[in-house]
Amino acid sequence: MPAQVEHLVTMANQIALNFGERRNMPLASERAAAHIEKFWTRAMRDQLVKYWQDGGEGLSPAVELLLQQGVSNPA
Amino acid sequence: MLQYYEPEKDYGTPAVVSTNQVSLSIDGIEVSVPEGTSVMRAAALAGVKVPKLCATDSMEHFGSCRICTVEIAGRKGYPTSCTTLAEEGMAVNTHTPELARLRRNVMELYISDHPLDCLTCPTNGDCELQDTAGEVGLRDVRYGFDGANHLHKEKDTSNPYFTFDPSKCIVCSRCVRACEETQGTFALTIDGRGFDSKVSAGMDEDFLASECVSCGACVKACPTATLTENTIIEHGVPDNSVVTTCAYCGVGCAFKAEVKGNTVVRMTPYKDGKANEGHACVKGRFAFGYATHPDRITQPMIRDSIDDPWQVVTWEQVIDFTAKRLREIQGQHGRNSIGAITSSRCTNEEVYLVQKLVRAGFGNNNVDTCARVCHSPTGFGLKTTLGESAGTQTFASVAKADVIVVMGANPTEAHPVFGSRLKKRLREGAKLIVIDPRSIELVSSPHISASHHLDLRPGTNVAMLNALAHVIVTEGLHDEAFITRRCEEAAFKEWVDFISESGHAPEEAEAMTGVAAAEVRAAARLYASAPNGAIYYGLGVTEHSQGSTAVMGIANLAMLTGNIGREGVGVNPMRGQNNVQGSCDMGSFPHELPGYRHLSDDVTRALFEKEWQVELDPEPGMRIPNMFDAAVDGDFRALYCQGEDVAQSDPNTQHIQAALTALDCLIVQDIFLNETAKFAHVFLPGASFLEKDGTFINAERRISPVRQVMPPLSGKGDWEVTMALANALDCPMDYQHPSQIMDEIARLTPTFTGVSYDKLDKLGSVQWPCNDDAPLGTPTMHVDEFVRGEGFFALTEFVPTDEHANRKFPLLMTTGRILSQYNVGAQTRRTENTRWHEEDVLDIHAHDAQERGIREGDWVGIESRAGNTVMHARISDRVRPGVVYTTFHHPESGANVVTTDNSDWATNCPEYKVTAVQVSKVTQPSNWQARQQQFDQRQQDLLASSREAPEHAGTS
Repeated sequence: MPAQVEHLVTMANQIALNFGERRNMPLASERAAAHIEKFWTRAMRDQLVKYWQDGGEGLSPAVELLLQQGVSNPA
Repeated sequence: MLQYYEPEKDYGTPAVVSTNQVSLSIDGIEVSVPEGTSVMRAAALAGVKVPKLCATDSMEHFGSCRICTVEIAGRKGYPTSCTTLAEEGMAVNTHTPELARLRRNVMELYISDHPLDCLTCPTNGDCELQDTAGEVGLRDVRYGFDGANHLHKEKDTSNPYFTFDPSKCIVCSRCVRACEETQGTFALTIDGRGFDSKVSAGMDEDFLASECVSCGACVKACPTATLTENTIIEHGVPDNSVVTTCAYCGVGCAFKAEVKGNTVVRMTPYKDGKANEGHACVKGRFAFGYATHPDRITQPMIRDSIDDPWQVVTWEQVIDFTAKRLREIQGQHGRNSIGAITSSRCTNEEVYLVQKLVRAGFGNNNVDTCARVCHSPTGFGLKTTLGESAGTQTFASVAKADVIVVMGANPTEAHPVFGSRLKKRLREGAKLIVIDPRSIELVSSPHISASHHLDLRPGTNVAMLNALAHVIVTEGLHDEAFITRRCEEAAFKEWVDFISESGHAPEEAEAMTGVAAAEVRAAARLYASAPNGAIYYGLGVTEHSQGSTAVMGIANLAMLTGNIGREGVGVNPMRGQNNVQGSCDMGSFPHELPGYRHLSDDVTRALFEKEWQVELDPEPGMRIPNMFDAAVDGDFRALYCQGEDVAQSDPNTQHIQAALTALDCLIVQDIFLNETAKFAHVFLPGASFLEKDGTFINAERRISPVRQVMPPLSGKGDWEVTMALANALDCPMDYQHPSQIMDEIARLTPTFTGVSYDKLDKLGSVQWPCNDDAPLGTPTMHVDEFVRGEGFFALTEFVPTDEHANRKFPLLMTTGRILSQYNVGAQTRRTENTRWHEEDVLDIHAHDAQERGIREGDWVGIESRAGNTVMHARISDRVRPGVVYTTFHHPESGANVVTTDNSDWATNCPEYKVTAVQVSKVTQPSNWQARQQQFDQRQQDLLASSREAPEHAGTS
C-alpha cells in the first residue's frame, strides 16, 4: 500500500474514533464525514474512496459507513 | 523610525494603580498621583528630577543610596523620596542648600572608592553615577584616594555577553533586586557586610558558573559601568535606536535595537513594550549576532541536482529559473503538484504574500505553516469550543490570577519573559498546579513551589483533564450561572452526562495516568475554587495524538468554572515562534483564508477573488505531512519553503529526507544553508528581522512592529523576493512597502480592519481583533459573549495513543526546549549561547540508567520503530522512571530520527511527546548519524565550491 494511502486509512479511522465511534457509530460517521470534507484535499478523499472500492481492508465501521453513504465522492 | 539615542525616562519607583488620587506640591508645582505613589515618582511626574542611584522604576524602592533625600514641610529630617509615599496636601522641597550639601557629601563618599577613568570608561556618556555626580555638583573628594578601596578588584569576564567589574560597583543592589524582582532567578546577592559588601553570583562563583541565566536585567539596571555589555565595551555607546520586536519566541518582546551606523551594538528591552515591559531573556537580549554571522548566504543560488555544486546567480536569473521550473512541473504533473510552506519567523506581510502566491499564483491551496507541528490543535480546539483560534488574555493578566495551571509547558525555559511574570505572581501568593511528566523548574525553584505536580505518564493528558472535570462537576464546583448565561445548553447537558461517568473519576484514571487520585481531586478543587483560575499550556498538550481533544478539554475546564472573559483567567496557549500566531492569522493553513475563514465560505472567497482578480480553488489543500507523503509517492514535485527547516524540525527525519529527495524542485528561502536547504535546487537568500519592516504577532494576539535597522544583506527583503516570484508567475503584485500589504490584509480581514502602520506607530502595538468594534484592539477576549456566540462543551473521550511502551521499546521519550538554544538552533548555534548548550543530551532517570549500565556522560543509543540515534546521557531526576527527555536544537543529534509519524487526529500535529524507545549503551554514532555527517560534509563542500567559483554566475 503506498505510504499516502496507509496514512489516509489511519487518519480516517482515527477521526471517526475521536468523534465517538465507540459510543454512537452513526453520529461519529456523520461528524467524521464533515471533518474529512472540510480538511482533506479532493485527491485524498478520492484515494480513500478508491481504497474502499478496492476492498477497504482495515477501515473502521464508521469510515465504511460514511463512504457507503456517498460522502466524499470522487470528482 | 530612527531615534537619536537617549536613555528612557526613569520615574524612580514603579507605577501604582489605585482608584484614589492624592494631591501634593513638589517645589510649588501641584501634582495629583494615585495613592501609593512615592514622592520620587510624583516629582518625576511633575517634571522634577530628584537625584538618585539605587532607585529605578522597574523595581520596588530600596532606600540605600541616600541621595534622593527631600524636605517635607512639617516633618523632621531628610526622608528618602523613594521610600516616602505621597500624601494629600504634602509640600515637598527637592532642592535646598542643606539637601545639596548632603547629596554632595554622599556622592563624595561614593567617588572616594571609584575609578576616575570616565574618559576611557565604556559607559562614558551613559552612566548614572557620572550624571548624578554632575547633578549634585561634586567638585572634590576631601578624603583623598589613598585609603582602603576596591579599585584592585578583578573583572569577571566569564559570561560571553557582559563583564562584571567590581572595582566600579557602588553596591546599590540594583542588580540583586533585578535578578529577584524582574527575573526571579535569585542568582545574585550582596555578600559580606560594611566595607566588605560585594555583589556575589551564586556561591561566590563567576557569573557563568552560577545560576545566572544571562537575561541581562542586572546589566540594564546597573547605574555604573560595573555590569556592561561586551559589545558596548568594544564599540562604545550607541548613537541611534530603533524600536522593533524580537524574532525568537512567542512572547514577542519589544526591543530598542541600538546602533552605530548600521551595526547593532546592543538590544535593550523596551520599557514601553506591552509584552515584556522592559525585560528580556538571553536570546533576544544578547544572541543577535547570527544576523551578521559569516555563515549568512547573501546571494541567490541554483543547481539542477542536489549532487551538483551551487551556482551563484543574479536575482533576475534565480526568479526566472524558479518560475520556469514551477510551471514546467505543473504542466507535467498537474496543478496540485506544487505547494509552499510559510514561515513562522517571517513577518505577517511576508507570510500573507506566500499564501497569496499559492492561492492566486499556483492556483491551489497547498500551503501550510509550522503551526502544523505545534499549535494546530489549538486552532482546531479553540475554534470548536470558543470560536476563535487564539489565546484569550494578555500576558499581564497573570498578575491577577489566583490559581495558575501550567500544563505541558515550561515557561521559564521556552517563554522566559512570561515565566518571570508568572514567578512574580507566584511569589505574591498565587497557587500553582503543574501538569507535566517532567519536574520542570516551576515545580520547585527559589520562593516557588507548586501546590500540586501532576506528573502524568506521557500520552494521558485527556484522561487527566477528564478526571479534573469529573471532580468539578460531581462535587458541584462548577459555575452554573456562567454556564447558563454563556454556553450552549444542550451540548453542556450531553457533556455533563459524559464527564460524570464513573470511568472518568480520578480513581479510574490513576491506573492510566500514574497520578494518585487524591492529588487530582485536590488540584481540581483548588482550580475550581479560585476567584481567578488561569490555564497556560504548550506543546506538551498539543503535540499528541489527542492534542485537539486536550485543547478542548482545557477550554471545557475554563468554561466550566467561569474562568473566561476577564483578567486573571483564561485559556492561554504558549505559542512558540515569534510569528506563528501571525502565520496562522494570515491564512497559512490549507483549508482557510486569512482570518480563519474556510475556503468553502463563498462570501469570503468572493472578497479575495475580487481583490486578487482571480478565481480561487474552493477545495482544501495539502497539509505538510500530506505533502511529504505525496512527494514520496511521486504526486507532489515542488515545494517553496520559506524560513522553515522541516528536515530538522519535523518528525521521522528519514521520511522527510526521502520526501525532499524525491522533489524535482525544492526552493528554500532562508538566511543560512539549513538542513532543508541541503536538499534544495534553489536558494533564495533571506533577510533577518533586523533587515526589514513588517509586523509580528505574539501569543497575546499582539501585532507589533518590526523595523528595519540595516539594509538587507542580500539586497532584498523576503517580501520583495516573493513578490518577484509572483510577478514571474503572472500573479501580479505591486507593493512599494510592507505597510501596503498590511493595508490589504486590513481590507480583507474583519479582525484586522483597524490595523495600520500609523496606528502601530501611535500605539506601539495592538491586539486583534482591532476593528470598528474595538479600534484600540482587544486585550481580553470573550468578555460578553464567545466569538461563536455561546461556548461549546466538546465531548473529550480518551483514546489512548497507539504509541505504547512495550517489551521492545519500554521507555517513553518526550521532547522540549531549553532557554539558551532556540528551536532548530539555526540562530542560537551561531552565537555564544552554545556555551550553555553545546549538544542535545538524553535525560534519563537514575533507575532506568542503572538497569542499563548507563552512567553520566555515556554515549547511548535511542531506538524507536522509526529509527535510532545516539546522544550523551545525563542522569536526571526531572524525569520519572520510564520517561526519557531530549531537545532538538542540534541537527547532528537526530532527535527527530526517532520520533514517529503518529499525529493528532484532527490536525496531523505530530506526536513528538510520546515515542516508545529503548535506550542502551553504545560506543559509536548511529548509522543515520554516520550517513548524515557524510551528506552534510558533501553539501558544505558543494556550497564552498560554488563560493569559490563566482565565474559560474549567469551560466545555467
